[in-house]
Amino acid sequence: MRTRLWKWFLIFAFAVSATSYARSAFAHGEAADEPFLKNLTVAFYDVHISPTNIKVGEPVTITGSVKVLPTWPFTLDPPVTAYVNPVVPGPVFALRDRTVNGVPAIGSIAIDRNGIYNFKMVMLGRVPGRWHVHPGFAVDGTGTLIGPGQWVDVEPSATPFKYEITLLDGKTLDLEHVGGSGVWWWSFAGFLIGVVWMFYWTVPGPWRPDRRTVHNLAVTAQLPTWDQGRDFGLVTEGDHKWSTFIAAVTLAMLVIGWLYMVSQYPLRIKQQTDRFTPPQPEVTEMGQVKALGSVYNPDTHTLTINLEVKNTGANPFTIKQFTMGMMSFVNGDKEAVEKSGPPDFVAPMQVQGNATVAPGQTEKVTLKMSSEMLDEERLIPLNDPQEIIAGLLFVQDTSGKTSSITLRSTLQPTEFAKKYF
Amino acid sequence: MAAAAPVSLAEQRRAELGRLLRKKYKYLDRTWDAVFWITAIFIVGAAADITKLLFAGDWDFWTDWKDPEWWPMVTAFAVVIIPSALQYIQWTAWRFPTGATYTSVCLFACTWIGRYFQWHVAEYYPLNFIWPISTVGAGIFMDWILLKTGSYIITSLVGAPIFGITVWAFNYIPLAPFLQPVQFMNHIVTVADVQGIAYIRSQTPEYLRHIERGTLRSFLGEAQYVSLAFGSTLAIAGYWVGQFIGRYLSVWPIGKYIKNY
Repeated sequence: MRTRLWKWFLIFAFAVSATSYARSAFAHGEAADEPFLKNLTVAFYDVHISPTNIKVGEPVTITGSVKVLPTWPFTLDPPVTAYVNPVVPGPVFALRDRTVNGVPAIGSIAIDRNGIYNFKMVMLGRVPGRWHVHPGFAVDGTGTLIGPGQWVDVEPSATPFKYEITLLDGKTLDLEHVGGSGVWWWSFAGFLIGVVWMFYWTVPGPWRPDRRTVHNLAVTAQLPTWDQGRDFGLVTEGDHKWSTFIAAVTLAMLVIGWLYMVSQYPLRIKQQTDRFTPPQPEVTEMGQVKALGSVYNPDTHTLTINLEVKNTGANPFTIKQFTMGMMSFVNGDKEAVEKSGPPDFVAPMQVQGNATVAPGQTEKVTLKMSSEMLDEERLIPLNDPQEIIAGLLFVQDTSGKTSSITLRSTLQPTEFAKKYF
Repeated sequence: MAAAAPVSLAEQRRAELGRLLRKKYKYLDRTWDAVFWITAIFIVGAAADITKLLFAGDWDFWTDWKDPEWWPMVTAFAVVIIPSALQYIQWTAWRFPTGATYTSVCLFACTWIGRYFQWHVAEYYPLNFIWPISTVGAGIFMDWILLKTGSYIITSLVGAPIFGITVWAFNYIPLAPFLQPVQFMNHIVTVADVQGIAYIRSQTPEYLRHIERGTLRSFLGEAQYVSLAFGSTLAIAGYWVGQFIGRYLSVWPIGKYIKNY
C-alpha cells in the first residue's frame, strides 16, 4: 500500500513539475535555426508593431526595414527571391495591405545583396487571443528569416469579423463566406449520389434481396474477371440498368451545374502572380568599419566587439546602434532604446572610446552589449562551423542623416559549449 | 410430353455457381458484409487522402493553388491511384463496380472531417479557402465503365482519362466564384488570390505556389486544355499504379498466405 502511494506521489510530483516549468510559447521556430542563418543573412531594424491592443476587425500595422547583408553566407543559395509576410500563429490576423519600398506587393519580390526593403503590412485582428507577431522575410532556398516580435492582444468584438472585397462589377463580398455554402452543398450532393450507388450495390433491398458481399468470393474465385455471371445472377440486368441510371443522373448534375456556373459567374480570370524588383531607397555612405575581433561571454550574455570606424563623410557622426539579425542594441537614453523596436528585441549598448568620429578621422572603439535574447534566439555561434557574426552599425551625422555600415567579425566565446560525447 | 433438353457440362457448372451464390451460410452471414464495409471506411479514406496529399497536397488544399495548369494535371494522377486499387479488389472479389465510388465516398468523409476539425476549428482557416475536392462523380463514371466493359485495360484507357477530366470539371463548378476578378492592392486579382494573401500562411511563401505563370501561344493561349489532356494521360499511369497496389500489395499477399497455411 505504501509503495503504491509513493508511486502515485511521484507521478503527481512529476506532472506538477513538468507543467509548472512550461512557459507560454512565443517563438516561431527561429531559435532552432543556426546562428549564421540569422546574423550573416539579413538585419531587421526600425521595426514597429502597433497598436498592441485591438478588437476583432481593427488594424495592426507592422513597419520596418530589412537589409540583405553583403555577408550572405556562401553555404546558402544566393538571395534572389523573397516574400515579405507576417509571421503569426495561422490566420489569427488577416492581411489587408502590404507595400515594399512603397510599392504594393501581392507576391514575392526580386532581391539582391545590399538591398534594403522597407515594408509596411496592415493586418486586421480576426481571432481573439494573445498572439506573437513578427515580420518575416522568406528567402527562396533559405527559408523564413524572422524579425523582432511583439505580443498583440486581440479582444472580441460585438460584430463578427468581416473582410469586404469589391468585385470589378462593383459588388461587395465578404471574403469569410464567399462561395462557401456553394462548395459544401455541391460536394455534398455529389456525395449523396455516391452513397446511393454504394447503397444499391452493397445493401440488400427490393432491388436485390439476395445481395451479399463476402460470399461472392466463393463464386468469383472460379471465374475470369471479365465474366459477370449474368446468366446465374452474379451481376444482373437490373444492376446494369440502375447503375446506368445513377451514372446518367451524375452526368445530368454535372451538365446542369456547369450551365448554372457559366450563367452565374461569366467573368472568371486566372489566378494572378506578380514579382517585381522594388526600387531601392537612396543610401548615404558615411563611413567604413574594420572589425578587430569580438568576444562573447555566455555567462553574462555579453557581446564585445572591437572595431575601427572611419568617417568618410563631410560631417562628424556618432555611433547610434548595432543590429544583428532581429536584435538591436542602442547607444542612447531609455527613450531612444524604447523607440527602436519591440522591447524584447532591443537593449542598450555601451560605446567605449570616442563614439563621435570627425570627418576623415579613424577611431578605435569597443561596443559592449548584453541581452539574454542573444542566447534565447541563438544569435551567437558557440559551437558552429562558422564562428562569425555580422550586423549593421548605424551612425548619425550632425545634420541628422543616418547611415548603416555592414560589420563582419570573427567571434571568440570566452567558453565554448561543453561537449560530453 | 416433350423430352427435357440435354444440359451441357458448362450449363451444369453455371447452375452450380448460381446455387453457390445463393447458399445460406451458418457463420458467414451479412454481418460480415457490414463489418467489412464500415471498418474499411477510414482505412480506405486515409489511404486515399495520404496519396492525394503526397502527390497533390497544396493544389487540393488552397483555392489560390487550384489553377488552370498544374491543378488538373497533378490532381488527376494523385486521386486515381487508390480508386483503381479498390476497383481491382472489389471487382475481382465480388464483381462489384464500387471501388472508385467507395474510395471517393470514404475520401469525402475523411477529408471534410480533417479539414473541418484540424484546419478550420484548430487553425482558424475559413472552410471556403481550404475545401477539398470531391471525386465522387468521377468515381461513379469510372465504376460504370468497369461494369460495362468488365476490363481493366479498357477502364484504364477510357475510364481513367474520364475520371481525370471529371475530377476537374466537377470541382471547377464550385471554384468559379473564387475566380471572379477583384481590385485589390492596386492589382486585378481573383477572389482566391485575395484569400491566399489575407489568410496568412507564414511557412508557405508565395514563391512556393506552383501555378500557371506564363502563357501559351498555341491552344488559344489556354494551358488548361493541354493540362487536361496531359493530366488524363497521367491518370492512365496512375490507374496502373493503383492496379499494382491492388494486385501485388493487397490481393497477392493474402492469396499467398491462404495457400501456405
